[in-house]
Amino acid sequence: MDFAFSDREELLRKSVREWAEQELPPRMEEMEETGEFPMDLMPAMGRMGFCGVITPKQYGGTEMGNLARILVLEELGTVCPAIPMAMQVHHMCTYALVTNGSEAQKEKYLPPLVKGETMGVVAVTDPSGGSDVAGMQTSAEKKGDTWILNGRKCFITNSHHSDIWVVIAKTGEGRKGLSAFIVEKDFPGAVLGRKEHKVGLRGANTGEMAFQDCEVPAENLLGEEGAGMGVALSDITNCGRPGMTAVGLGILNAVLKEAAKFANERTLYGKPIARLQSIQNHLAEIYQDRELARLAAYRVGWMLDQGMRVDTESALAKSFACEAAARSARKAIELHGSYGIMNEYAVQRLLRDAIVTIPAGGTAEIAKLVMSRAALAAAS
Amino acid sequence: MPEVRSEIWVIAEQHGGQVLPASLELLAKARELAAEPGWSLAAVLLGQGLQDLARELLTYGVDEVLLAQHELLTEWQTPAQVKALAQLAGEHKPQVILAGATASGVDLAPRLAARLKTGLSAHCVDLEFDDRGGLFAVVPGWGGSIMAKISCPTARPQMATVLPGVFAPAQAGEAKGQVIELAVDLSPDDLGYKVLEKVEVPPAQSALDGAEVVVAGGWGLGNEKDWQLLPELAQALGGAVGSTRPPVDEGWAQENQMIGTSGRSVSPKLYIGVALSGNAHHLVGIKNPGLMVGINKDPQAAIFDHCDLGLVGEAGEILPALLEELRD
Amino acid sequence: MKIVVCLKPVPDPKDWGKLKLDPETKTLVRTGVGTVINPLDKHALEAALVLRDELGGSVLVVSMAPPDAGPVLKEALAMGADEAYLLSDRAFAGSDTLGTAHVLASAIEALGGSDVILCGDETIDGGTAQVSAQVAEFLGLPNLMHVSHIQAQAEGPFVVHSQVEQGHLVVEIAPPLVLSVVKELNTPRYVTMMDILDAEEKPLVTWDNEQVCAGESCVGLADSPTQMADLFAPPKKKQAEMLPGTPREQARELAGRLRRLGFC
Repeated sequence: MDFAFSDREELLRKSVREWAEQELPPRMEEMEETGEFPMDLMPAMGRMGFCGVITPKQYGGTEMGNLARILVLEELGTVCPAIPMAMQVHHMCTYALVTNGSEAQKEKYLPPLVKGETMGVVAVTDPSGGSDVAGMQTSAEKKGDTWILNGRKCFITNSHHSDIWVVIAKTGEGRKGLSAFIVEKDFPGAVLGRKEHKVGLRGANTGEMAFQDCEVPAENLLGEEGAGMGVALSDITNCGRPGMTAVGLGILNAVLKEAAKFANERTLYGKPIARLQSIQNHLAEIYQDRELARLAAYRVGWMLDQGMRVDTESALAKSFACEAAARSARKAIELHGSYGIMNEYAVQRLLRDAIVTIPAGGTAEIAKLVMSRAALAAAS
Repeated sequence: MPEVRSEIWVIAEQHGGQVLPASLELLAKARELAAEPGWSLAAVLLGQGLQDLARELLTYGVDEVLLAQHELLTEWQTPAQVKALAQLAGEHKPQVILAGATASGVDLAPRLAARLKTGLSAHCVDLEFDDRGGLFAVVPGWGGSIMAKISCPTARPQMATVLPGVFAPAQAGEAKGQVIELAVDLSPDDLGYKVLEKVEVPPAQSALDGAEVVVAGGWGLGNEKDWQLLPELAQALGGAVGSTRPPVDEGWAQENQMIGTSGRSVSPKLYIGVALSGNAHHLVGIKNPGLMVGINKDPQAAIFDHCDLGLVGEAGEILPALLEELRD
Repeated sequence: MKIVVCLKPVPDPKDWGKLKLDPETKTLVRTGVGTVINPLDKHALEAALVLRDELGGSVLVVSMAPPDAGPVLKEALAMGADEAYLLSDRAFAGSDTLGTAHVLASAIEALGGSDVILCGDETIDGGTAQVSAQVAEFLGLPNLMHVSHIQAQAEGPFVVHSQVEQGHLVVEIAPPLVLSVVKELNTPRYVTMMDILDAEEKPLVTWDNEQVCAGESCVGLADSPTQMADLFAPPKKKQAEMLPGTPREQARELAGRLRRLGFC
């Protein structure tokens, strides 16, 4: 067992950190205020290679893999968690195309995504619910060479900044009743709906999209007809949950840093509060959460790079890291006293950010459902 | 060859017939070192047409002024200076050569040391002798958080460059000692490069010049909004705003507000340092201050080791409170 | 054009707060302190890459450092250098600036010399700012420090701006030459993921004393002319009187004192 990062991974972490620390802080206030993702950062992140980290080189990606992806998202998230939130969904779009797309689809859609010319979207969740994939109401009906889509998708990350949407819609009944489509923003009948105002991860745009007799050419069916459930679930398991784990991990890094800094600087009774045992307890718990989230996150990345299945591990890592981020952010706020709820201190934003990660990619309950299968299998 | 007695040489760096303040400061310190029995001190002056300047240097407590004049030394050009000094040092074997850590001095001294195959301590903030004539140079490292004492046990001469502004400059007094003219052998090939032009950027006027109250801020203010509390406080106290390096880099402060090694010197009656760590590069610019007040959220900040009064807390809280209190 | 850049790995300035002095051994405890390319050396490398891209040729980086400095040189390769040479030998350990400059100069000679040698103006750890001038001295080349602008051409002299007190000199200087640069010269590029992959194909060579041929007496701790006699924490000049209480109470006390002293 080898827990060491390679020189390549260490250098990657360092270079992402340098970029993030230089480029992101000047943008964060505006992101927080407007709730908009700074789109000019996308081509810059494309040049850095972030957008194509799990895309094969032939389509312009770096193909550095899943552990590298987690490092990138973690480092971006340590500075500004909204950025990897948007980026990880962008990756989900590239993942869906790479794993299910035809050669023509990959050649057409991957290069602009990898270059950061646009953002990627994966639209699964209907107003009827996200985790109940089978209960989806957005439908697609084939008429000649065209699929006609009708329905609505909500809570969709990157919705208003994307030209390329991977949309799951109902094409039949039962397990094979869903199909995936590549919808371009400009297809007739593709409409953007409201923009959401979230409490946290405000710089990652979230909104609704609607399909009103939206015409999608037959060649834009992604994968087989009826394979939509698999497209969605494999994307969520292999890309979405590992990505959200990394977002949570980034938040945990930031929380730990803010908490430790404050504990060293703030004095009470003539000495830094870091010398008080109750404060040390808070710090130790935050540290423990961060370290365990790291182990869980890197293991998932490593397993994916080995070609292993990660159904249970990615659910575990995601739910642990995001819950840990929220609980640690709350502890950090308590450690800050009244400062913690002031706008000038980052910890209040980190708590808001952390809370938003919890439902993304499946709630804790869904994760427990997945994990319970592995737990029950332990009987034999 | 004229006889030279002096074992301690201070390079009197002159441009256009003006000796830099850094050299006068060094002369003062070197005078102290040479006060030990058996030591004598020379200012080494290189250039052309400098007889008057050489005699003037005799008023700064030196035993000798070593004057080497050559046409090729008219304008300062480091390679020629190095060659001339190497010749003089080779002939007269000084024990110590000191130079200011000026823009030219930090180029000249290492080349000279390498040519003489000797050691050089750079950017010193203090110098002292041991009882056997060994020179110890005190050098700040890691932003001044740790000091190193450097010696040069066997190689001679012992060389050091000293940061400008560390020592008080020598004051002119009664002329004593003598000017000794020494010959150097230079050819145009020794110039190394050709100076096409000197672009002078005159130091911008600064409100800091002559300010009796200085409110200086550091990177710890964290953002431009909080930085704006400083001009308010300075105004309330009838003073000027100063800065360390990082706020200038951040664009909160102007270059001409920077105090310290590469900035300005101030001598205020009241200095208030806000959210700055108090490293040597900044503090060296504060000469003979009156009351020194430090405000920092870190009770361990070095600034408190240099202040009369310390306030621990966020500048963003203390300054608005202070402004209100001052208005009442 | 053959360009050599001298790089030094230094403790990450972000971690300087973690540097501790062991009062017993008088050595610096660097636990938990990261290593980075000396910031100004990155500007030197950036200048080298720009020169190469304008005039053709290659960029070689040399660094005298412990054997574990490989990752730092990898970063230089990722930034765009073509070859990297890590000069590492027990004999070099503890060299002062004269010894370091001698090792670097010897290595550059062993590499067959160079048209342009670039360094950072100073390092943030030692801050001695001596090595570039001494490398130039050992190689018998002209040098300029504080370089804030370089205008180069394939044939003939460069025009270089060298900062001095209150301005800069515009200097004509012909290669082969040594320049040490200040941060105003340029903005170092980011290392992209593609760069990291490319760097893995580039040569990173470790040379010991035999390959460097620095057989001279000024190299290494014992033979360096300067010696570290002592390391100590700077003495406290004063002990400030700390005003007690909340920010408001402290502010009130200070305002009162300033008023009594006639400052307002």
